[in-house]
Amino acid sequence: MSGRAWGRGVWIVFAKEIVDALRDRRTLLVVLLSSVLMGPLVLIALSGLVASFEERAEQRELYLVGLERAPTLVNFLQRQTFVVRAAPADYEQRLRVSTFAEPVLVVPEGFEADLARGQVPVLEIVSDSANRRSEAGASRLQRLLQAFGRERAALTLAWRGVSGELLEPVQVEERDLASTATRGAQFTAMLPFFVLMAVLYGALNAALDSTAGERERGSLEPLLMNPVDRIGLVLGKWGAVACVGMLIAVLSCFSFIPAQWLLRSDTLAALFQYGMHEALLFLLVLLPFAAAISAVLMAVAIRCRTYKEAQANATIVVLAVSLLPLFSVFNLGGEARWHAWVPGLGQNLLMSRVLKGEAFGAEQVLGPLVVCAVMTMLGVGFVARRLGTAAVR
Amino acid sequence: MIRIEQLAKSFVSPRRSAWRRQAAQRVHAVRDVSFEAADGCITGLLGPNGAGKTTTLRVLAALIEPDAGRVLVDELDVHTQPRAALARMGVLSDARGLYPRLTARENIVYYGALQGMNREAAQARAEALARMFDMTSLLDRRTEGFSQGERMKTALARALVHDPKHVVLDEPTNGLDVLATRALRDSLRWLRTPEGGAKCIVFSTHIMQEVERLCDRVVVVAHGRSVAQGTVAELLARTGERDFEEAFVKLAFRDDVAEPAI
Repeated sequence: MSGRAWGRGVWIVFAKEIVDALRDRRTLLVVLLSSVLMGPLVLIALSGLVASFEERAEQRELYLVGLERAPTLVNFLQRQTFVVRAAPADYEQRLRVSTFAEPVLVVPEGFEADLARGQVPVLEIVSDSANRRSEAGASRLQRLLQAFGRERAALTLAWRGVSGELLEPVQVEERDLASTATRGAQFTAMLPFFVLMAVLYGALNAALDSTAGERERGSLEPLLMNPVDRIGLVLGKWGAVACVGMLIAVLSCFSFIPAQWLLRSDTLAALFQYGMHEALLFLLVLLPFAAAISAVLMAVAIRCRTYKEAQANATIVVLAVSLLPLFSVFNLGGEARWHAWVPGLGQNLLMSRVLKGEAFGAEQVLGPLVVCAVMTMLGVGFVARRLGTAAVR
Repeated sequence: MIRIEQLAKSFVSPRRSAWRRQAAQRVHAVRDVSFEAADGCITGLLGPNGAGKTTTLRVLAALIEPDAGRVLVDELDVHTQPRAALARMGVLSDARGLYPRLTARENIVYYGALQGMNREAAQARAEALARMFDMTSLLDRRTEGFSQGERMKTALARALVHDPKHVVLDEPTNGLDVLATRALRDSLRWLRTPEGGAKCIVFSTHIMQEVERLCDRVVVVAHGRSVAQGTVAELLARTGERDFEEAFVKLAFRDDVAEPAI
């Protein structure tokens, strides 16, 4: 068979498989909705959450019970530019059911007098640890009260002619090394995961349908009775599956760009630097991955008699790709060299680097690329070898 | 012309239990099948279930390699030149699955393209075959939801799209109603004539009437061996029977060809 005829055979199989995969509208729609839109939607939801935190930080409101009993404290809080309000009567109930999102400070009877006499009055911060938002406010309130205590102590000491610095023999200053982009990466750490999953689910159906599905329908046996060589046949099929996976990769990578316009939190918008450049780098990582995962899924599925059996077997691949990136979450020893050579994990690390705005060179890209190429070749070779036996039995 | 010489094929049956080691069992699907199918002639492969008909036809279609023997299609060895041999054959195999999301026409044209035809030729041929099998109205419907008979017609048209010199059919009347069976018989008779292309037609069946009505030659296959061949009249004369069914039973279930008891 001449090279040209061979190429034509591959192309014919490829074109048919693409048409077949794209006609499966319902499955494609589900993949698009669940995988491609998932990432942006989570991002937008996250931005809503961050925005609500920011809003509350800007509001600077505090709620007290027994406002009138503590003029000194109220004065201090107002000097810190906080607005002090009386807490609603049913605050405990409302905190419990999360309709009230602020911690409440309870001032005891005789607070002012005790304070003046130096009799350490007890202030109570009421929050509900099941109510996340009130928890966040509670630590801020605690810091404010500590500052109040320090001011009181300093004043008392100064009254007696002692330097306030005695109370604070050490001065603590914090210096955050994270750049804007690294700080943003905390919020966007799961984006690579979503994109990987989108590619995987995009390729999954086409991969199973063109192998196990073909066996189940009984269309593989007649297909092999055509004068097309097996490697060519598998290459055509694999090409189509990989293309569907890549299409999903492109869609999901670029879906984050318009999603950015919908970000409600300015801080997050400033932290999440994702433009054309980042999208293209993502694709550089994802396209080889789509090719490799398609071949692997086909290799897993060709062993199965039915589509259902293949789905059950493919779960292992899905599980591996979703669990391997966890290495970087639980990374006790930091980023090791071998991480780049683990499929799934390597891609995850590279994409995190892109999000953090860190540069990476050819050698970091080379590892995952080589792994993907080897996986593709092994997968395609395995499917071609098993095709004959698969058709008959 | 198709020539099959002393074909043998055995399979190793898969081990049932993964825990207990069992001796792998060898199943002899085909022990010794030989026959010749001439051009312009319908040759019927007649045998009971499990006689080895489907395995023989699968070897003929280069789907599995024989353990011994040769299969020649126009003097091309199927084993050494599978693609050249397949280009001369149209095979309707035991499995005849279609692509449910493609229309009947697309299913047929796809196989035409795989056989090396260009698009226009494949389209024209699909329409000609549709007229022949009375399925023109089906052509542009997706095959999802086709009836058994409609599927069969589509699969048959798909197998014949490249107008092959040799037509190999594995139990083609399975699932067809009386009218469709008659139409198929007429088409096969026409394909045998010089106007129809004087094709070499081989088909397997276990239905007596089919063989009596259609075949120029009959090869009786039993227990993986070709036990008798000739025209219907010759086989009747040989067994001294007047009823073909009796003749077949005598030929296929003779004691000396039966599998030795283990």
